[in-house]
Amino acid sequence: MSATALSLGVADPAPLLATGGAVDGLRTAIGVLVEGLGKAAVYFTIAVGLTLVFGLMGVLNFAHGAVTMVGAYLGGLVLVLVVGSGTGTLATIGVFFAAMAIVFAVTTAAGSVIELKLIRPIYDRTPTYQILLTFGVSLIIEEIARIVLTLRGIQPDPQWQAPMGTTPDVLLGRTDFLGIAVRRLYLFEVLIGGVVLVAVWLFLTRTLYGLYIRAGSEDTEMVQALGIDVRRAFTVVFGVGTGLAAVGGVLLMWDPIWGPSVLLSVDVLLYAFVVVIIGGLGSFRGTVVAAGIVGIADSVTTWLFTTGAVTFSGLSEVTIFLLLVGMLIVRPQGLYGVEEVGGH
Amino acid sequence: MLELDGVHTYYGESHILQGLDLSVEDDEIVALVGRNGVGKTTTLRTALGLTPPRRGTVRFKGEDVTDLEPHEIAARGMGWVPEDRRVFAHLTVAENLRVAAHAAADPDARLGEAYDLFPALERFADKEAGDLSGGQQQMLAIARGMLGDNDLLLVDEPSEGLAPQIVSDVVEALRAASADTTMVLVEQNFRLAMDLADRFYLVDHGVVVEEGDTEGVTSDDERVRRYLTA
Repeated sequence: MSATALSLGVADPAPLLATGGAVDGLRTAIGVLVEGLGKAAVYFTIAVGLTLVFGLMGVLNFAHGAVTMVGAYLGGLVLVLVVGSGTGTLATIGVFFAAMAIVFAVTTAAGSVIELKLIRPIYDRTPTYQILLTFGVSLIIEEIARIVLTLRGIQPDPQWQAPMGTTPDVLLGRTDFLGIAVRRLYLFEVLIGGVVLVAVWLFLTRTLYGLYIRAGSEDTEMVQALGIDVRRAFTVVFGVGTGLAAVGGVLLMWDPIWGPSVLLSVDVLLYAFVVVIIGGLGSFRGTVVAAGIVGIADSVTTWLFTTGAVTFSGLSEVTIFLLLVGMLIVRPQGLYGVEEVGGH
Repeated sequence: MLELDGVHTYYGESHILQGLDLSVEDDEIVALVGRNGVGKTTTLRTALGLTPPRRGTVRFKGEDVTDLEPHEIAARGMGWVPEDRRVFAHLTVAENLRVAAHAAADPDARLGEAYDLFPALERFADKEAGDLSGGQQQMLAIARGMLGDNDLLLVDEPSEGLAPQIVSDVVEALRAASADTTMVLVEQNFRLAMDLADRFYLVDHGVVVEEGDTEGVTSDDERVRRYLTA
C-alpha cells in the first residue's frame, strides 16, 4: 500500500475534532476505534485463509495474496457486468454478495485442484519446496493477470476504477453514528468481516471437518492414527483457504485504499503475514486478535498523521512492521501460537 | 491378529529395527520390553504405518498392510495410545473423543460408553484436554484409543511420568480395555508389564532376543536381566 494511497483513505479529522473538550475527545477515540475495526475486518478476511492452511498443513502459501488479487478482479468483473446506472442500491449489494459466493466457489475449486496436483506431490519434501512452489504460482498468476488485463485494455496498476464506480451511494461518504462521523464503507467492511468470522468459526466448531482441522493443527500424525484421511482434509482446507483469500479480494474491491490492481497481490500478502505471525501461525483466535491489534494500530497512526501530529506519511506501515518485529523478538510463536507436536 | 515378519525400519540412515519378528494372537496382551532406544516404540509405529518399514511385512488380521497409509490401517481396527499421551490440548475432552469416534454410526453412544468406562472423563467433558492432569490425560488417551471400535490397541509407555497411585488407576483402565481388545504394550516398568501381559518379547538392538509367557518372570530372571541393565 503506497503512502499516497494511504493518505487517500484516512479519516478526515475535521469532523472528529470540530470542537475541543472531553466529549469530543471521546468521540474522536470512538471514531478512530470504529475505523480501526473496519481495517481489522479487512485484515482478518485476507489473513484467515492463510492461517487455516498453515495450521493444518504447515504450508506457507505465498500465492495467497495473488488469489486475493484475482478475487478482487473477478468480483469487480461481476459487478461491472451486472450493475448499470439504473441498478438500485439493494440490487447492487445483492450482486456484491452473489459475486462473493461465485468467486468463493470458483476459487475454492481451483485451490483444491492446486493442492491435489501441485502441492500434494511435495508434502514429503522440506518446506522450502512448498514456499518456492507457491511463490512460483504467485508469479504465474500475477503475470497472467497482467497479460489478460493488458489485452482487455485495462492498466494492471494502479487500481481498476470501474468496479469502484459501482459502489452504491449508501456506502459512500460518512454517516453520523452517535454523533461520530464514520465512513460507511468501514461499517460495511466490519459487517462482512463479522460474517466471515462467524462463518469460519461455525465451520471450525460445528462441522466434522472443522474438528479435524483443529485437531490436525495440533497433531496431524495423531489425527491420521485415529483413522482420518488427513490428506483429504488438506484438500478441503486448501480449497477453503483459497476461497477465503478471494473473498477478501471481493471485499477490497470497493475500498479506495486497496482496490483491484496487480500490486494488491504483494500488499495483501505482507499484511496477511504480519497478522498471522503476530497472532500465532495456525491460530484462528490469534488471527482475530492480531487483526484487531493491527487494524487499530493502523487507524491510530493514520489519525496521528492526518491530524498533523506526525508528519511522516509511512508511520502506519512502520508501526505495523515494528509490531511484527517486536513480537518476533519477545514471543516468536505469536500470541496464540500452537506448539507443534506431531509434525505436518 | 498382528504379525511383523523380518521388519527393517529406519529413521533417515539410522537402522532401528533390524529384522524384527513378532506375532500377537487374538485377545492376548503382549508386552514389548527392553532398554531405552532399542526399537520398542518404533515397532508400534511400524505396525501402524507411521514409520513404514523399508523391508519386511506387516500383517493385520491376515491382511498385508505394509504399504497402507496410517489412516487406512487405523480404519481397519488398530488403535494407538502414544507415548506422552498426545491429547489435542486445545480441544475439549468431548472433542478429543469425538475425533476418535468419527466413523461410528452413533458417536454420542460411543462417547457414552467411554464415559461409562472412565467416569472421571465425563466430569471434564467440556474442559480443554491441556488443562487435565497427567493421569487424566492418560485416561483420555486410552479412551480415545478404544473408541474407534479397535480390535488391537498399541499402548506406548502408559505409566511414564505418572505418580504411583495414578499408575494403578491406569493399570485398571488398561485391564478394562483389554476385556474386548487385543493389546501390545510397551512399558519401561518391567513388573507392571509382566503383571498386565500374557506374553512378552524382549527387544534389543532392533531384534527380538527373548520371548515367552510372563508367568513367574521377574527382572532378576537371567534370560532378561542382561538385556535390561545398562
